[in-house]
Amino acid sequence: MKTLLLSLLIMGTMFAQKVIELKQPESNKVVIRLMFKNGSIADPAGKEGLTEATASLIAEGGTKDLTFTQIQDKLYPMAAYYYSSVDKEVTTFTFAVHTKFLNEFYDIVKGVILTPAFDEQDYKRVIANQQNYVDQVVRASSDEEYSKKALEDLLYRGTNYQHLIQGKSESVKTITLNDIKEHYKKFFTKNNLTIGISGAYSNEFLTKLKNDLGQLSSETPAIPEPAKPNSSDGITVEIVAKDNAFGSAIFAGSPLSITRANDDFAALMVANSYLGEHRKSYGVLYQKIRETRSMNYGDYTYIEWYNNGGGNMLPPSGSPRLSNYFSIWIRPVQIAKQLNAQYKELSGIKLGHAHFALRLAIREIDNLINNGMSQEDFEATRTFLRSYIKLYPSNSVEQLGYSMDSDFYGRKDYIKEIDALLAKLSLADVNNAIKKYWHTDNMFVVVVTDKSEADELAKSLKENAPSPMSYSNFVKSGLPKEVLAEDDIVANYKLNIKSVKIVDSKDTFK
Amino acid sequence: MKSCFIIMALSCIALLSFGFKGEGGEEKIFPYPILQHKLPNGLNVVTVKYDSPGLASFFIVMRVGSRNEVEEGVTGFAHFFEHMMFRGTDKYPRNKYNEILKSIGASANANTSLDRTIFHMTGNAEKLEVMFDIESDRFQRLHYSEHDFKTEAGAVKGEYTKNIANPYEQSYENTQNTAFDKHTYKHTTMGFLKDIIDMPNQYKYSLEFFKKFYRPEYCTILVVGDVTPENVNSLAEKYFGQWEKGSYESKIETEPVQKETRFTHIKNGNIPPFLGLNYKGPAFSDKEIDMPALDILASILFSQNSELAKKLVINEQKVRSINGEAADSRDPNLFSIEASLIKKEDMQYVKDEIVKALDKVKTSGVDEKILSETKSHLKYSFAMRLDNTTTIANSLSSYIFLTGDPESVNRLYALYDKVTVNDIITVAKKYFVPTGLTISTISSDAEGGVK
Repeated sequence: MKTLLLSLLIMGTMFAQKVIELKQPESNKVVIRLMFKNGSIADPAGKEGLTEATASLIAEGGTKDLTFTQIQDKLYPMAAYYYSSVDKEVTTFTFAVHTKFLNEFYDIVKGVILTPAFDEQDYKRVIANQQNYVDQVVRASSDEEYSKKALEDLLYRGTNYQHLIQGKSESVKTITLNDIKEHYKKFFTKNNLTIGISGAYSNEFLTKLKNDLGQLSSETPAIPEPAKPNSSDGITVEIVAKDNAFGSAIFAGSPLSITRANDDFAALMVANSYLGEHRKSYGVLYQKIRETRSMNYGDYTYIEWYNNGGGNMLPPSGSPRLSNYFSIWIRPVQIAKQLNAQYKELSGIKLGHAHFALRLAIREIDNLINNGMSQEDFEATRTFLRSYIKLYPSNSVEQLGYSMDSDFYGRKDYIKEIDALLAKLSLADVNNAIKKYWHTDNMFVVVVTDKSEADELAKSLKENAPSPMSYSNFVKSGLPKEVLAEDDIVANYKLNIKSVKIVDSKDTFK
Repeated sequence: MKSCFIIMALSCIALLSFGFKGEGGEEKIFPYPILQHKLPNGLNVVTVKYDSPGLASFFIVMRVGSRNEVEEGVTGFAHFFEHMMFRGTDKYPRNKYNEILKSIGASANANTSLDRTIFHMTGNAEKLEVMFDIESDRFQRLHYSEHDFKTEAGAVKGEYTKNIANPYEQSYENTQNTAFDKHTYKHTTMGFLKDIIDMPNQYKYSLEFFKKFYRPEYCTILVVGDVTPENVNSLAEKYFGQWEKGSYESKIETEPVQKETRFTHIKNGNIPPFLGLNYKGPAFSDKEIDMPALDILASILFSQNSELAKKLVINEQKVRSINGEAADSRDPNLFSIEASLIKKEDMQYVKDEIVKALDKVKTSGVDEKILSETKSHLKYSFAMRLDNTTTIANSLSSYIFLTGDPESVNRLYALYDKVTVNDIITVAKKYFVPTGLTISTISSDAEGGVK
């Protein structure tokens, strides 16, 4: 944000790579981002996780001239760093260095991208970590991230978008060093590359960078079309049952036909922000589920992929997607086992809060579809967004990332363009977009919960049985009558559930 | 950021001379003037001008955290109270507060840890007075019902529920509880679960808590961005000048000296085996050499290019990752070394290798070249991070809560420059002793099995 001169240029080069520039002459660093259009959808069948393995081995392995440890030794005094990040449709390498060390660092950058060693020992280390992630970490480290990933597995089942970016337990075992070398040649080429650069660099430096990257493979990668999410017949629920879960973590979603590339996205942004702005207390779901009823830590909705929602306050760049879905995030709510143990008055209940929470969220979306937003809420939310979106590119890496993502979606400057679209919106535009793009009759739901909760929850959902809210006396005694009256309606709210399945945690992501 | 760092080469390693000079001509790591203004009621106001057109970060740093939870049964209260601060006042009830916040379009939130609670907003610098207005109101005149209090307790329990799903979080909770007997670092900032469940019963205590701690002498207001100190100071006087000074000070027990190695273990075969070696360390200080020497030692021994990481992670591939650092806190806390292993059978071997590396420092010290490279690493890491108002404010907030003075950052980095090989040997001998160690493990076995 500190730039005197901030220019954005998109130009063709002699090697046909795109270059996105953000010149910041007063900056003390240079950031380079190399974005390859490939992503996990480029993984061959049976080799799911190959793009991730390739990117990791490039970023965490040696080069023709230097071993990985020699690289680490060189980077250390400079405090320079780089890392890879793979998403469904792109892979990005981010390099950052203080301007004083740009030339020394650049020798490493060049080696990493152009002449990776693909060393056997590096491969063993990288692939072992990836195997461990798909075998254990994804299921054990955060139930909410687990539910989000399991929702994608369900939404995209049978497509190139289904598998985890890191792959499957069985597929990672089959990835060989040779597979990685071949994949690098085929899918990390000068023909699917966008170069991004920001900070205090010279034109000569950029020319050198562009020329050098022209030495990347000249193959034309065959990138498959990103699959569209499945359509559910009614509401399809998968309950993932695991040992020792402390709560029920819920993610729900349904296909969304538009992305940032479409102008209607602005209208849907307003509706989404009103319903469930990420990590904000203003959203309707947050207000109803957390603030009024004390059920969990937060409740939000999304109209595009949001990476690491538990860790990020503002949406990070680097995961642009042409395939899209609408989703609801209900953070872990209490289960019967915990409530039984914690409150005498709840010692007899058999079902925790997941069914009620899901009903409440879907009913609020239905209300919004049927009634629309009010003029007042529309104005307040639009005002908020027009200011808030300008905070998204929060630092030098993100500024460059947002520019590159803009280009991916065919926009010059997403933030500026969406602001202009927000300025032009009317209430009718928003309410029409809600009706056109959101529906709750057909969706997918994943609940990650404790084994003790799974059967009762499945039964309750299948039978559309009443799920009265079970408050502790602490909360119940002071709740206004209107809230209790609304609870009765929510507890009996019919959901169009057609399928409920319990899956053992060890059988997910197969 | 000014690009006027001067570098002199010494064995290819930079001896750094960073670009900002203080009034006495001393060089400072922090590249901007830190302007401080203390109000008569004890509130400190800090302004840093930064070239971020139209944008400012407004931080309120309260020097109260779980460290202050000295009474029985109220662990986790500082964090709970941070939640309560969003429950409104008579002038700006919760909904009105939210409405105003929404109209500013800022990124705003709060968080609590051992020694502090931070409330922060980043947004339109032109709305600075609105920020001062709504924040000063709740800090002086917070008013919530008993029902709101009880309801918010459920959200805290929800937060605990999502955090504790992570086995490493469970291990952290156990480690603090095992390593400490008397000091309040015994419990995490979330608090003990039994106290979280009992929170709804503590309404009266909450009123007391507000009166004790939400006072100007505990508070620093920090504004970074497109602002002037004159404007910030005059807004602070206008909105916070009437805030009445308090007198309460927590009596925090000193932790008795630990006499033998302690152990804590979690049986869980669903994640990679985990080994933590947690040594009792010093408190943060910008005057004593101990903490800066330990920071440098941590970087030399446990960063990705350390001899130990090369051996265990790269060559032998027995460990997935290893790291180690001293916790910066107001009172003595832990220096924690954590390793994620491939096989649980290697747990003892990895522990022995870590101890061997620590012992080697005690007898042979460290290489001068590595020491010099580490000083360079620390300074350039710091310099590269400061590229937006939020990061700058977050960085200064740490020093504000640790010592009360943001200039500590400059004193700390000046101390880094002075650390010698002998200092490192001294702190290694002083802190890495078996009697100060707590070993935490996670594996599929019933017991940790590490000696």
